[in-house]
Amino acid sequence: MPKPKPRKNHTLKTNADQLVEIAVAGQISQPSFRRPEYIPDNDGIAKVLPGMSGVLYNIRVGDPAFFWAGDHVEPGVSVAHKDLSADFALHYLNCIGNRAVVTSGEAKGAVGIVTGEHARILIDFAPDVSEMLCIGDSIQLRSKGQGLELLEYPHIKLRKCSPELINALPIEKISKFKISVPVTMELPIEAMGSGAELNSEYVDQDLMTGDRKLMAELGLDQMRLGDLVAIRNADHRFGRSYREGAVSIALCIHGDSIMTGHGPGILTLMTCEQDAIEWRIDPKANIANYLKIRELA
Amino acid sequence: MNLNVNTDKLVSLSVMGQIATPSFPGLPAEPYRLSADGIPFLLPTYGSIVYNVSVGDSAYGWLADCIHPSVSINLADDNGNRGLRVLSCLGNTAVVMSGEAKGAKGVVTGKSGRFSEHVIVHFARKDREKMAIGDKIIVRSKGLGMELAEHSDVYLKGCSPELLAALKPKPTKDGKLEILVVASVPPHLLGAGAGLDSEGGSVHIQTTDKKALKGAGLDSLRLGDVVALENYDSRYQHGYLRGAIGIGVIGQGDSPRAGYGPGITVIMTSGKGGIVPKLSKNINLKSLLSLKD
Repeated sequence: MPKPKPRKNHTLKTNADQLVEIAVAGQISQPSFRRPEYIPDNDGIAKVLPGMSGVLYNIRVGDPAFFWAGDHVEPGVSVAHKDLSADFALHYLNCIGNRAVVTSGEAKGAVGIVTGEHARILIDFAPDVSEMLCIGDSIQLRSKGQGLELLEYPHIKLRKCSPELINALPIEKISKFKISVPVTMELPIEAMGSGAELNSEYVDQDLMTGDRKLMAELGLDQMRLGDLVAIRNADHRFGRSYREGAVSIALCIHGDSIMTGHGPGILTLMTCEQDAIEWRIDPKANIANYLKIRELA
Repeated sequence: MNLNVNTDKLVSLSVMGQIATPSFPGLPAEPYRLSADGIPFLLPTYGSIVYNVSVGDSAYGWLADCIHPSVSINLADDNGNRGLRVLSCLGNTAVVMSGEAKGAKGVVTGKSGRFSEHVIVHFARKDREKMAIGDKIIVRSKGLGMELAEHSDVYLKGCSPELLAALKPKPTKDGKLEILVVASVPPHLLGAGAGLDSEGGSVHIQTTDKKALKGAGLDSLRLGDVVALENYDSRYQHGYLRGAIGIGVIGQGDSPRAGYGPGITVIMTSGKGGIVPKLSKNINLKSLLSLKD
């Protein structure tokens, strides 16, 4: 997989030279179900659906976030660690855009890229690599990004961004206070749900999609896995809360859900409690493009 | 109450909890939680016997994180605790079965959410003085399965027949149900608890933005207040849905954390707007259930 090249005119100054690059490993996780395995949909109809854990053969970053006959679809390969503390290390060290290497099994040596963090770390590999992967195979991340700062914009906080991702994003400087980030859409704060109870360094928050008409009216159902999105009045610095004037930029990391209060998951990348992040709508604002995973229209 | 309720069919069943011990994570630095501004704080939080905070007191101003008024109970066994959370209904009688306060009677006033999963029970202050962590408390549960024949789109959640009667629900001419509340919470101010189950878990008002909180008339709520949840569907889990409406009770106090604030135990929900909240004053469990000081 080619390494994304820094943009030529990219002038955002960061402290990337101070970051520590450290290995952290996990294994490809087996899908699992609770007993009973039924989950209620928005109208209480019980269903059983796949989507989480394992190797997803037919869904990658860049594919639709809605549409699938699945629930919380995790694109690519899901990696976790059986030891709780080691698993937390995976959760808190992984950054979007980090490299990951298969270290055991038939695909040993293959290189992937971190594209999300849900209950497990989500890694994209080329389809021919996925074919060779086995549940339990070890995957090692070269984690780098915790501690990353925008030196000219200290009021804008980064969450789980690798230096490679920041270099690849076409961020524009608007003023000494403001930057502009491309996104595919804006999400309404009143529909931000499950995950409000968690800190913003840990996994994601779901867009609540129970109001199916609203999803269609606002075009939110066109969201793709890997899309960058903006949320107004959302302060994601230390948890995720409503604050007028705040703006957060997030990444769609998993697919829709039939459960009330759930839906596509968005992971915080950038946040400011002041009005310092502007966004511009760009249908191509997807990490599949920025991280050269695949070319999207 | 001119309502056709299946009260005669309800099963009254014992379910036990024990007074929960407060707990904090271990060394080296984890006792601190972070405020929405990233400032570490160390304050009392859920669990235990709270001597000086009761239903009827303010939900704000305490130096605490999501404090539970009076007594919190749980069971160490996960499945058993789930039984306690789901079966306990607000308004159910609870009886102390062991220890110095044996025989004292209390009333279920709330259920907490993810990370604590307690049932919150009101006891008179003089009874709290005698209690010990670990004391066994039986809830005489009754309410699960309760339905309103003429209002099939209104789902009751953790609501006892006694509380339903005390709320004096009033059928409207267009077939809806009018409920008196002290305030109405807009969906953008509902935070932690979204997406989690509505049978045993609370959903929290989020109070990071004090101006927005005041603007919505939510800055002077009391523990035990009855409130409405706007555009919010709690039939199966808690989540946003235009036109849906919920009724809940303020069960826990405010929090400095992002996404948190006073917790609401939802007792009634309609996915189709079958409930009409009407703003009133002093609609609080303390008077509705005649709680003793």
